[in-house]
Amino acid sequence: MKKILFLMITAVFIFSGLTAGPAMAADTVKIGLMCPITGAWASEGQDMKQIVELLAGQVNDQGGLLGKKVEIVVGDDGGDPRTAALAAQRLATQDVVAVIGTYGSSVTEASQNIYAATNTIQIANGSTAVRLTEKGLKYFFRTCPRDDEQGRVAVKTIMEKGFKNIAILHDNTTYAKGLADEAHGLLKKEAVNIVFFDAITPGEQDYTTILTKLKSKNPDGVFFTGYYPEAGMMLRQKKEMGWDVPFIGGDATNNPDLVNIAGKESAAGFMFLSPPVPQDLPSKEAAEFLAAYREKYGTTPGSIWAVLAGDGFRVIAKAIAATGSTKNDKIADYLHNDLEAYPGLTGTISFNDKGDRVGDVYRVYKVDEAGKFVLQN
Amino acid sequence: MEIFFTQLTNGLAVGGIYALIALGYTMVYGVLKLINFAHGDLFTIGTYLGLSLLTSLAITDKLGPVAGVILLAVMVMCLVGIVGILLDRVAYKPLRTSPRLSAVVSALGASIVFSNAIMLVYGPSTKVYPHDILTTRVLDIFGLPVPVMRLVILLTSIVLMIALYGFIQKTKIGTAIRAAAIDQDAARLMGINVDRVIMLVFFIGPALGGAAGLMVGLYYGQIKFTMGWIYGLKAFTAAILGGIGNIPGAMVGGLLLGVIESLGAAYISLAWKDAIAFVVLILILIVRPTGLLGERVAEKI
Repeated sequence: MKKILFLMITAVFIFSGLTAGPAMAADTVKIGLMCPITGAWASEGQDMKQIVELLAGQVNDQGGLLGKKVEIVVGDDGGDPRTAALAAQRLATQDVVAVIGTYGSSVTEASQNIYAATNTIQIANGSTAVRLTEKGLKYFFRTCPRDDEQGRVAVKTIMEKGFKNIAILHDNTTYAKGLADEAHGLLKKEAVNIVFFDAITPGEQDYTTILTKLKSKNPDGVFFTGYYPEAGMMLRQKKEMGWDVPFIGGDATNNPDLVNIAGKESAAGFMFLSPPVPQDLPSKEAAEFLAAYREKYGTTPGSIWAVLAGDGFRVIAKAIAATGSTKNDKIADYLHNDLEAYPGLTGTISFNDKGDRVGDVYRVYKVDEAGKFVLQN
Repeated sequence: MEIFFTQLTNGLAVGGIYALIALGYTMVYGVLKLINFAHGDLFTIGTYLGLSLLTSLAITDKLGPVAGVILLAVMVMCLVGIVGILLDRVAYKPLRTSPRLSAVVSALGASIVFSNAIMLVYGPSTKVYPHDILTTRVLDIFGLPVPVMRLVILLTSIVLMIALYGFIQKTKIGTAIRAAAIDQDAARLMGINVDRVIMLVFFIGPALGGAAGLMVGLYYGQIKFTMGWIYGLKAFTAAILGGIGNIPGAMVGGLLLGVIESLGAAYISLAWKDAIAFVVLILILIVRPTGLLGERVAEKI
């Protein structure tokens, strides 16, 4: 008898829990954030979370959206495609209006189809691989530029430097290989020799083998399309070998940790392509945002990619407010067609039919003797 | 030819570190027939503890670089050794009589717990050792530029390995460890305190891993909470290559793996570096299933 009573009470609790869930969900506007809270890119992901939560807090202080509070639902993708697929499945079934994220292209790619299957709007913030927006996905957007754009700027920079023998190095991730292929294709049309084109293994400490091999090919310049930890290690070990070939990096080397890892002396002279770093952001919105961030967290955001997640949040919030709706079709239509030159944190934002951000974003940076990133031209 | 020898020294320096970590796998396997998958993370703990001690106590400023680094190494080895013992107590000892797979799963769990604990304590971003402690001098050996620190790393690894080998072969405690590795029940009947032996093994293995961690931190400068995984995997491979459970095997396997990787990357393909190393591993295991120096037909996972 006792057992049956216990079962009944449990059943009542479970049922009330089930019915209360959706009822509570209707009281808030849920926006998903998929980011690498753990894993190799955890510092990016934690920045993303801090920024989006800061912006959501600001919106809530001003009365929220459509009269409701905004709730950020965070899913940890671990910087890993498999974990991302799980995170995406969880987020997609939680009634979110849209999902912001994520950072790495291969990670975003693993989640794209899951969001597409549930018609969830996704706004990636750091995934620059070209093919992500070439799949005709109606609900996919990104606030970052594409690699072909970056490839063009890279080749322009390399040609301006007057390098004749160029080495290209990537790390076999979707992003780095895409950018390397892009630059490779464009450089072939120019009057230069590509003396080296190969991939390193990311996550290692010792790149002297690669550097020794590179050095024997005698390039005038090296274009490395991978991420900042490896770039930092290579700069440091290159210096140790007494080799002073100029290195140019892609936008994934844009992180202050690069200088910490390499040391100021080794990092000096390193050039990289990137959307403007947070401190160089030109707009009034950016200045206000940086002030608010500093007040809440005591530092400035580490890299631009997390700020681009903030822009993802802002365009969603803008679209919900402007359409007065949380319907995915209305929001997607608005983002594709009606959002014109919206003042984002990283400059003006509008999207084309593919969901790509329109406009010229890339700049060239150089690391100076003090380890500061200095905007060139 | 110059490039060949440069690549060879590159490979040996990396291999020395692999070998040192591989010793931890091999010792634990030898006695318990358990692959301690958390070993790579004990190595990471060593790098982080080294950084903490270095920056908070400023030992190298007070004692000079050589004495400072040696004292630091002793402290890190002891601390990581103690973490190793605690790991055994919490994660492995309760499972001593369970099927072996349970302990392996427990080891994988411990690995995840460790790496995330490091992330929570130290934060997710890359940490950097001070740059100016060690000499960056480059020796000129027969016209080959060899950084002094690469030699020091290789020599330190070899000295630590020989010391361990001597300890296992020549001392009474070493004999007890070997006895426990052959047959725990028989060893117990001979009056050997097997639990004490296991505790010691879980002190020495992680301590060597911690020493390797400190060397990696001091030399390469960049440390990250996820780094243990890749080093752990390589060292595990090295242990298998040399014959797991066998101490000279771990040394040979580690050095060989470093050299294969380096030469494979230099002369065949960079991107296929790991693939080449694993193909060599497979070939060796086909010819010698127990690894290069393995004698006993050990059950492997």
